[in-house]
Amino acid sequence: MILTSRVVWAKFLAGITLFALCAMSLTGHASTDDELWIVLQKAAVAARALSYEGIFVCQTAQQSKSVQITHLFDGKNEFARNVVLDGATREVLSQGNNLIIYNQKNEKIVIEKRRGQNMFPAILPLNFDSIRDNYTLHSSTQERVADRQARVLFLEPKDRLRYSYKFWIDSEYGLLLKSVRFNQRSEIIESIGFNRLSLLNSIALDWFTPKIDSKKNYVMEDEPVILPDGKLSVTWEIKELPAGYRKVDQMVRMVPGKPYPIMHMIFSDGLASVSLFIEPTNKSGKTKVALVTTGSTSFYAGVNNGHLVTAVGEVPEATVVQIANAVVISK
Amino acid sequence: MSEQISALMDDEIAVENAEFLITSIHVNKQASQTWNHYHLIGDAMRGDVALPSDFKQKLMQKIEQEPTVLAPSASQPSVNRTEMLKDKLPARWSIAASFAAVMVVGWMALQQQSQTDSPSAVIEVAEVSTTTNESIPAEYLTAHQSSAPSTSSYYIQSVNYSE
Repeated sequence: MILTSRVVWAKFLAGITLFALCAMSLTGHASTDDELWIVLQKAAVAARALSYEGIFVCQTAQQSKSVQITHLFDGKNEFARNVVLDGATREVLSQGNNLIIYNQKNEKIVIEKRRGQNMFPAILPLNFDSIRDNYTLHSSTQERVADRQARVLFLEPKDRLRYSYKFWIDSEYGLLLKSVRFNQRSEIIESIGFNRLSLLNSIALDWFTPKIDSKKNYVMEDEPVILPDGKLSVTWEIKELPAGYRKVDQMVRMVPGKPYPIMHMIFSDGLASVSLFIEPTNKSGKTKVALVTTGSTSFYAGVNNGHLVTAVGEVPEATVVQIANAVVISK
Repeated sequence: MSEQISALMDDEIAVENAEFLITSIHVNKQASQTWNHYHLIGDAMRGDVALPSDFKQKLMQKIEQEPTVLAPSASQPSVNRTEMLKDKLPARWSIAASFAAVMVVGWMALQQQSQTDSPSAVIEVAEVSTTTNESIPAEYLTAHQSSAPSTSSYYIQSVNYSE
């Protein structure tokens, strides 16, 4: 009985949130463009505020995996369990932004802790300011995904510094059913979409536990060593970042295989992230630069005033090059 | 006629019923040549070839006399050459000649096809070489994914990240 009332309460809260978003759109200038952005914002909220279970397929240039998801919002907290159904066992349990990955590596299960807030279907952020600045949105016809009617939206970048997206949004639940990312040649570089989806009717949490294999050894992943900021003897400045990218995090860390601390900064345009690394190098003068793109990830490394500057992220090549070149190192 | 000779060799026609055919092979010079050629082909296919001792030498001489084909386009005149030779050669060579012509035309068609395909083929090769020969250094990719995970990295471990 208590459980049922909590479900009602959760649905009520979700409803309130959706209503608030709709109301915001009505008070503003209610053009069709705004109406589309509301649909997308509702999808970002619905992914977090609804309780659902299903199976989705995540496909990149290299691999494809089916994932079973159970997601619950009890009115206060979000719980999710993602079980990868293909290949090596892998489970991701998340509570809010804290997630734990149980990752099989040979005979061991490595437990990895992460902070993240862009798991499918909650790939869109709640704050849309920077997305609205950098992308345009237009709608297409209705399509059927996972036996559900979906509205199709295209999110196109305003420049060539980010990828474009196609979203299928459930016409009834407002939930993101499928997301496809395209590169500049309009080739699909990532596709994640439900095969099957249903709403959860219970808020029981008995499923919120990893499947333990008693024959395997469970070990914690080596935590990345984060050092105080003053540990790095380099002064730098970031000039002229590519449009729409802002610094969202910064740390001095140890990286496995590197004997010295490295400066690690993270930039984002709201959807895509780029990591920038600055480290000392003994290579003097001009060293050849490296530029690699695999699937959706681009990598660039170059020497800048006695330091190796490296940028990596799920963005076009031009973006990693521009971010690395924005670094000005003073000696 | 040739078909009948072939059938006789393959025991598809009983020798008793082939009196006329055998006689005509003896009388008709072309038929007797066909008979010999078919036997030679059969021997060659079975591997028991009785070649003249200077066969290899003569063959190499003939090959050396042949013009060297340097570019695909240079092979085009060889069709005309085949056509010219065809008139001089005995009729039974015509099948072989037309087969060769089909091969040349087919090959040329393939060439043309691959030429029209070439821009995309080049791009594919370039992509393969970047993914196989060069890869993103694992330490940077791992550091990036642990601090700023992309959506697919929750479910699919990047290739570089495997131990």
